[in-house]
Amino acid sequence: MTYTILHGLMYPFLFLSMYFQIFLLTTFFENKKKIKHEEKQKSEVYPTVTIAVPCWNEEKTLSATLDSLLELDYPTDKLSIVVVDDGSTDKTLAIAKVYEFKNPNQITVITKENGGKHTAVNLALANSKSDLFGCLDADSFVAPNALRSIVYYLNVDATVMAVVPCIHIRSPKTFVQRIQAIEYLINIFFRKTYGELDAIQVAPGPFSIFRREVFEKIGVYRKAHNTEDFEITLRMHKAHLKIMNSHKALVYTIGPATFKGFFYQRLRWARGFLENALDYRDLFFKKEYGNFGMFMLPLAFLFVFYGLYAAAFIIYGIFSQLTTSFTRFMVVGFHPHLPTLDFFYFNTNVMSFVTMVMFSMFLLALYVGNTLSDDKQEFYKNFAAYFFVYPFFVPLFLGRAVIDTFFKRRNEWVLQDTKK
Amino acid sequence: MIDTKKYIFTFVITSAIFATAFFTSTFFSNKRIESVKSIQDNIAIDILSSETQFSLLGEVPCSNVGESSLSPELSTLGDKLSRTEADRGTEDKDVIYLKKYYSLLQIKDYLLSKKLVAKCGVAKKPIFIIYFYSNQGDCPDCEKEGYVLTRLKEIYPDLRVYSFDYNLDLTAIDSMKTIYRVKSSLPALVIEDKTYIGFKTVEELEKLLPDTLKVATTTTTVSKKVSIKQTPPKVIITGTTTVATTTKTAD
Repeated sequence: MTYTILHGLMYPFLFLSMYFQIFLLTTFFENKKKIKHEEKQKSEVYPTVTIAVPCWNEEKTLSATLDSLLELDYPTDKLSIVVVDDGSTDKTLAIAKVYEFKNPNQITVITKENGGKHTAVNLALANSKSDLFGCLDADSFVAPNALRSIVYYLNVDATVMAVVPCIHIRSPKTFVQRIQAIEYLINIFFRKTYGELDAIQVAPGPFSIFRREVFEKIGVYRKAHNTEDFEITLRMHKAHLKIMNSHKALVYTIGPATFKGFFYQRLRWARGFLENALDYRDLFFKKEYGNFGMFMLPLAFLFVFYGLYAAAFIIYGIFSQLTTSFTRFMVVGFHPHLPTLDFFYFNTNVMSFVTMVMFSMFLLALYVGNTLSDDKQEFYKNFAAYFFVYPFFVPLFLGRAVIDTFFKRRNEWVLQDTKK
Repeated sequence: MIDTKKYIFTFVITSAIFATAFFTSTFFSNKRIESVKSIQDNIAIDILSSETQFSLLGEVPCSNVGESSLSPELSTLGDKLSRTEADRGTEDKDVIYLKKYYSLLQIKDYLLSKKLVAKCGVAKKPIFIIYFYSNQGDCPDCEKEGYVLTRLKEIYPDLRVYSFDYNLDLTAIDSMKTIYRVKSSLPALVIEDKTYIGFKTVEELEKLLPDTLKVATTTTTVSKKVSIKQTPPKVIITGTTTVATTTKTAD
């Protein structure tokens, strides 16, 4: 009986998931010409830009981050970099000072007591006067064309208020980083199509660029469940401020190297998503918030729970299969057989057909993500790691995030940088 | 701002894919049922043919009654039927119909074997186990007993296992239950006309099986080895079906 209900619920889930996939693929192919056209355009107008680099004990990566910013293909007199040392206890400040000394016209260093990322970014914002403002986490690095690609979108359409980049995992080495490499690759496709639908879910920490008037209209960053970038995105949607994606603006970020780090990072994100989505629940199912309010945000919220359910369903299936094999083993011992090739025994139920179609569409989305980016990956190398491990990993942090949110557990401890 | 047409278009496409999946799945499921039905029909013809042979037996010597009358396909059919049942559920009308048909074929096969023994003596005596199970969740040991019997058939290919769903609404099965005094406590096994209640392991069942079966199986192995060497076997123990068959092959 339990199984019948579990099984029955799987069909609406599969239908919704497939609907979502087709919706995104349709959107992409509908806009393909426009996207291709954008790729060839270059902006010759250079508004002034300030990039804030908030740091808290980032001595290992800060130099490379600042180097990448200095190498940006952008007029130096139009680009200022503000390094905000958020009370670091390592050599972060010293490193920043050296860069400031060498590039006095471009780099400014501010130091303050530790107060969290949003306080650091807000301080940089308060100290800037530029037309555009963005932030680059000190564990991320930009490609030289990144800023120009982003600025193009802001120049051609005055209604675009922020532009988010295309993010890759920087030289994935560990198993966990390889999983993320694939995850980020598929996100390139998602972010592009979300942008076309005016439904970008988050303007991520690494190198999202905003017009100054965004902050004038809706205010600065706020403390928001350790996911300030998600909160400000929701606030922008609420104020009907448009966000686009520039898929040619390459940004590289260091992914957590261990499962533990990965778990806590995702737990922080998932918890932040749930809490902020609940705070902004008045966006749900309101026509005035377009595709984001009517479809994407409620679906993302629903998928948290459906994801948990699907995981339970799959784990239940695997568990009962294992129990059967174990019982058989206990009764008659181990006598392996070659699998039969008789077509009679092939699985031809609705679920396996639907899953096959969905898997093909997933591969298509992954392929599209890879073609969109200028940094093509040999994704098949890391695909097995992603495919066999990621689905079992997701329910762990989702489940924990749901429980923590439900019981209103304090999770200040995740404030610590999860990437270390 | 919201492109309603796209939402509808996506709905139509998604529904079409689901509908295709549904129809394809139904198509293959029906194909399976047809395939099981056709195997059953073949077996029914086999059995009818054997019965006809028996009616003529007064005029035909025992040696002319072929092995084929005891349909080896019955076992494959059983496997396919279990798979169909797992796919479509125990409540499925087609599944119930096929199971009834299958049960009747098993009983017929069983009776035919008995007749053969009566007419032609021990030379054609098959060894069989009659097995009563339930898959309504009231027989936790039935799953295990199923594994045991499958394994036993692998060890002794000449063994015939006739399985009957205790809860199947079929008067012929009711009669079998009455004859072998099988009550609702399951699993129940009938070996050499004796009824055993409760779970039995492979070893326990081996002890209950007549020795002729074990000899037959051992001999099969021996004669197969011989046939590889291209020297015709000068076999050996008469009185088991396997020896006869294998010797023929070797020749």
